[in-house]
Amino acid sequence: MADMLQYDFMRIALAMAVLIGLAAPAIGTFIVQRGLSLLGDGIGHIALTGIGLGLLTGSSPVLVALVVSVLGAVAIEVLRERSRSGADVALALLFYGGLAGGVILTNAQGGGASLQSYLFGSISSVSATDLYVVAGLAAVVLGVVALFGRELFLLCQDEQLARAAGLPTRFLSVLVAATAAVTVVISMRAIGLLLVSGLMIVPVAAAQQLTRGFRATMLLAMAIGVLSAVSGLAGSFQYDLPPGPSIVLLALALFVIAVIGGAVLRRRRTVVSPAAPARVEAEAEVVRG
Amino acid sequence: MKPFPHDVRPDGPPPFAMSGGEVRLDGRDVLRGIDLVVAPGDLLAVLGPNGAGKSTLVKALLGLLPLAAGRTEIFGVPPARFHGWQRIGYVPQRLRVGGGVPATVREVVASGRVARQSRWRPSSAADRAAVDRALEMVGLTGRARDSVHHLSGGQQQRALIARALAGEPDVYVMDEPMAGVDAASQAALAGTLRELAAEGRTVVLVAHELGPVEPLITRTVVLDHGRVARETGRATAGSVA
Repeated sequence: MADMLQYDFMRIALAMAVLIGLAAPAIGTFIVQRGLSLLGDGIGHIALTGIGLGLLTGSSPVLVALVVSVLGAVAIEVLRERSRSGADVALALLFYGGLAGGVILTNAQGGGASLQSYLFGSISSVSATDLYVVAGLAAVVLGVVALFGRELFLLCQDEQLARAAGLPTRFLSVLVAATAAVTVVISMRAIGLLLVSGLMIVPVAAAQQLTRGFRATMLLAMAIGVLSAVSGLAGSFQYDLPPGPSIVLLALALFVIAVIGGAVLRRRRTVVSPAAPARVEAEAEVVRG
Repeated sequence: MKPFPHDVRPDGPPPFAMSGGEVRLDGRDVLRGIDLVVAPGDLLAVLGPNGAGKSTLVKALLGLLPLAAGRTEIFGVPPARFHGWQRIGYVPQRLRVGGGVPATVREVVASGRVARQSRWRPSSAADRAAVDRALEMVGLTGRARDSVHHLSGGQQQRALIARALAGEPDVYVMDEPMAGVDAASQAALAGTLRELAAEGRTVVLVAHELGPVEPLITRTVVLDHGRVARETGRATAGSVA
C-alpha cells in the first residue's frame, strides 16, 4: 500500500477513486429507483462519440465528452417523454450510433490504444489537472443530490405524484439524466465508459439488500462505492490489472456478500419477531374508529 | 354550517370546476361531457363500475391527464398555470415500488411536505411535527422506520394517505383508497375522513363501494362509460353558500 503512494499518478488516481466512489452511487440510487439502470450505460456509449470528436478536433476529449453526453442525456429524456413505444428503439439507435461513431472517430485519429483506455479505464496518465476537473464535477453531482434530493425522491418514486405536488417534473427528469452524464464523464478515466454504469448501479443493488430506507441505501451505497473504487484501484496497481474491471468485480463481490447478509438478516428478523403481529393489533386499536 | 379552513373562503373559486370535460386515451374516449363543480367542504364520492373512468376523472381534475375538449380549473386556475399545489393532497391508487430501492414509511410520508418546503432549507421542526401527526392519524407511528414495501396493502394505503395529510392541504383527492384494504385500515380511513370533515376540508374520493365511510359522504357522482350517470346530494353547505 505504502509503495503505491510514492507514485504521483497513484495518489491522484486514489483521490479520484474516492470522489467517483461517492458520486456515482449517489446519483445511481435515484436512477435505480426510477427503473433506468441502463441509462448510464447508454450515456457511456454516447460519450464515446464525444471522446472521438475531441481527439479528432484536437480539443480536450473530456470537455467534448461532457458536452456530448449531457446533450445525449437530454435527448434520451426527450425521447422517453415523447413516445412510450418508440422510445425503446430510439434509445437503442442513439446508443449504437454513439458507440459506432466513437470507434470510427478515434480510429480516424489513429487512437486505437487510447480507445481501449477510454473503454475500460486507465490511470497511468492521470494528471493533477484531471483531478481538479473530477473534483469540481463530483462536487456538482453531490450538490445536485443534496439540493434536489427531496424532489428527486418523489419524482423517482411516482412521477404523477410529483406533478400533483407541483414539482417541475420535466426539469427534474432532465436534471437526473444530465447529472448521470456528468458522472459518466468523471468516472471514465478510472473505470472506462463501458463499465461506468456498474459503479452507479451495483453498489446500490448491494446496499438495498441490507437497508430499509432510501437515505440509508444511498449512504451505504456510497460507502460501498468508495470501498470498491479504492480497493479495486489498489488491486489493479498491485497485480497489474485494468482498473475498471477490478473495481466493478469488487463491487459485484460486495453485492454477493450483501445478498447473503441480507438473507441472514431477514431470516433472523422473522425468527426473532413473533411480537410483530401483536404490535400491529395494538396499532389497529390506536386507530380512531 | 361547517367551519372552513382559514384560507378557503366559501365565496372564492371552487377547488375543482370542470365543464364539458373530455379525455381521450389511445384514441378512445374515456370521459365525455363531464360537468362537475366540487365545492369547499364537499366530501364527494366518485362511484361506478371498473373502467367507468373514475381514476381518469380525478387525474383530469388534477391536470395529470390532458383534456381533449372542455376546460377544468383548480381554485379558478387551469392546472398548467396553477401554483398552489400545497393546497392539494393527492393519494394515488397504489404505492409504486419502482426500481425497488427501499424507503421507510417516514420517508414516504415526509415527501408529502415537498410542496411546502424550500429547496435551500433542511426540514424544519414544523415539517417533522406534521409528519408525526400524519403518522399518528393513520396509526402507523410504530412502523415509521420500517420499509414501506414490507407493509400490508392496507398499511401501504394508509402510508399514502398519511403522505397527503403531512402536506396539510385543504383538498384531498383519493384514488380508490379502500380497494383491497383490510378492516383495520378501512376503519383508520373512516376515522381520518371524519376528522377531515370536521375540519371542513374538501375530499374527492374514488371508490368501488363505500363501506364504513358511507355516512360521511355528502355527495356522490356515479360514472358509467365515461359519462355522469347519476348524482346525489348536489346542494351541500359549500355549494349553497
